[in-house]
Amino acid sequence: MSLLPALVMLPLSAALASTLLPLRWRGPLGVALAVLLAGVACGLLRTVVGDGPQAHALGGWAPPLGIALVADGLAAGMVVLTATVALPCALHAALGLRGEAVEDGFWPLFWFMWAALNGIWLSADLFNLYVGLELLGLAAVGLVALKGSAGALAAAMRYLLAALLGSLAYLIGVALLYAAWGSLALADLAGFMAEAGVAQSGSLTTLVALGLMSAGLLLKTALFPLHGWLPPAHGGALPPVSALLSALVIKASLYILMRLWIMAGPALTPLALGWLLGALGAAAVFWGGWMALRQARLKHLVAYSTVAQIGYLFLFFPLFGVANMDAARLAWDGTLLMLAAHALAKAGMFLAAGNLVLAVGSPHIADLTGISRFRPLSLMSFGLAGVSLMGLPPSAGFTAKWLLLQSALASGQWVWIMVLVGGGLLSAAYVFRVFRHAFVEGPARDRFASPPLALELSALALGSASIALGLVAQAPLEWLRIGSPLATGVP
Amino acid sequence: MKRYLLILLAALASLAVCAALALAVIERPEARTDLPRVVAHSTEHAGAPHPITAVLLDFRSYDTLLEVAVLLVAVVVALALREAQPDGPDRMGLDNPLLRAVMSWLLPLMVLVAAYLLWAGSTRPGGAFQAAAVLAAAGVLLRLAGVRLGGFAGERGARRLRALLVLGPAVFVAVGAGTALGGRAFLDYPADWAGGLILAIELALTLSIALALLSLFRLAPPQSDVERLPERRRRTRE
Repeated sequence: MSLLPALVMLPLSAALASTLLPLRWRGPLGVALAVLLAGVACGLLRTVVGDGPQAHALGGWAPPLGIALVADGLAAGMVVLTATVALPCALHAALGLRGEAVEDGFWPLFWFMWAALNGIWLSADLFNLYVGLELLGLAAVGLVALKGSAGALAAAMRYLLAALLGSLAYLIGVALLYAAWGSLALADLAGFMAEAGVAQSGSLTTLVALGLMSAGLLLKTALFPLHGWLPPAHGGALPPVSALLSALVIKASLYILMRLWIMAGPALTPLALGWLLGALGAAAVFWGGWMALRQARLKHLVAYSTVAQIGYLFLFFPLFGVANMDAARLAWDGTLLMLAAHALAKAGMFLAAGNLVLAVGSPHIADLTGISRFRPLSLMSFGLAGVSLMGLPPSAGFTAKWLLLQSALASGQWVWIMVLVGGGLLSAAYVFRVFRHAFVEGPARDRFASPPLALELSALALGSASIALGLVAQAPLEWLRIGSPLATGVP
Repeated sequence: MKRYLLILLAALASLAVCAALALAVIERPEARTDLPRVVAHSTEHAGAPHPITAVLLDFRSYDTLLEVAVLLVAVVVALALREAQPDGPDRMGLDNPLLRAVMSWLLPLMVLVAAYLLWAGSTRPGGAFQAAAVLAAAGVLLRLAGVRLGGFAGERGARRLRALLVLGPAVFVAVGAGTALGGRAFLDYPADWAGGLILAIELALTLSIALALLSLFRLAPPQSDVERLPERRRRTRE
């Protein structure tokens, strides 16, 4: 039995089960199944590393008639990353939300979200990706709305409208591509477009389709200046929800965008467009960093930090588009490592921020005064994640920036170096702003609440993972190249 | 002033997108593969003789499964939000004897039409989604006529509601798991069983989708109550 459908169906079954189960069983079941699913994910990665990319024709119908699930190195890597982030979040939620009213909605939506994520990583069909995006978007909006407060509902509504507009633009593009080429399978389309060459594949229909799809996906990824919906949604949600949204959900649309650009090939994605995305990314780094610096509330600071960090990932498009093979490979490695580093660090940071807010009993950064003496563990998890976000060695954030830097040098696109360095300084500024308040000596008496140890440990695990990944990045980066355009020698 | 500028900007952007879309549709090249012909050719090997049913429940059944999941997500969110905000007494329903009288005629007819649509789906246009829409409409009309759907009230009723909502996707996943455990591809129906399995999935889906649509209607806060919500909540608390 193939592992590919199981990776979508296990979380889907868990979602159905946790809709029915009594409330008190959902948390323990969630953690147990998350461990199981992490095991399955590692099994898939092992198979891909050992035997090369895997494919599974659903329903026994080969594409273009049916839908295929495909796991190359990148897809398998994302499946494992999802499990790595979701497991500590499940633990955090199982203990942190126990007995609260939101737990009823949280667990089904958590599992639907995981199913949608795995579905997107593994899908090789444009329309199926749309269905995955819808499932993911709606589950994410539901998770944001769960709190039920006026602020949460307003943020969720805004998020819903942005997500729907993005999906709609994507869907129109899918319809146009289907009309123009007659297939929805990614592999088919890539073949047709390469075969037809620039003259025909550059037809208006394809260009409009790709433009609309890219615009929709950019909105869903919250690239500057389309990021307005993100800070209230990510900043206002429950800690495990914020962690999952920032670490994984926005990466799904970016992942589809990367697949789309690689599918279309260099003929349809001229370097000028890549530069445009890179420039928006650079603007995101500076604007997000600046806004993070000005936030009064801790979780909103972390949310704006996400706006900034997304920017780095868009340096992929100008750097990967060049003819220079070395630069393209470094851009691929650097971007994916940055993606993983941000996912781990940001999830850790949101969980740590949630613990700090719980300990202080106030969402404001200024109220952290004195926390360093009494709750050093919460602060340390926050700091470990911050090290990776700032890009200090030996964290994965540092290694990723180093690779991107070398790619920028190799392709002669010097301007991105300023972005990498300047962005790092800005992140340092906003992370240290938190510490400045935390290290001020406050009252000598311990007036803080104590988050349960498991909550602290789940944040600590994610923060440490973002550091540890930097030390062992070599092997994962090689796995991620399996089945990628880089493996065949054509960038 | 700023407002007008924004409206102007939005109008221009919409016009530009419209123009681009129109050009893209007019200028579209000849497709490389003729997928409708492939579908027509393969339908005889599928579990349903009608091409649309074959696409929805055989060739691209995985998409359909995920779409049903999307619907369930919407209901789960509505349930969670509605339970967080306790409701006052149920005042939905129009005091309209005519509607009640018409409903007693319409209801059996609507159930019959739904059953027919479900059955017809295998050979001609129809199927689970259409049948479910008719069933849900019958439920909505019943609610408007003031009939309580008593089976779903109270704690046991809520559990029953959830079980029925989950039934459709659960049967779908179970069939898929069964085929996968039997050594076939996921949702690859054995040739002899294909028709029966598809009908079973459609039957379960009809119930779940109808109930999902009805629940979304039932859980939406009535418009006229919005101003009175605080007052109602106070009353519930007392």
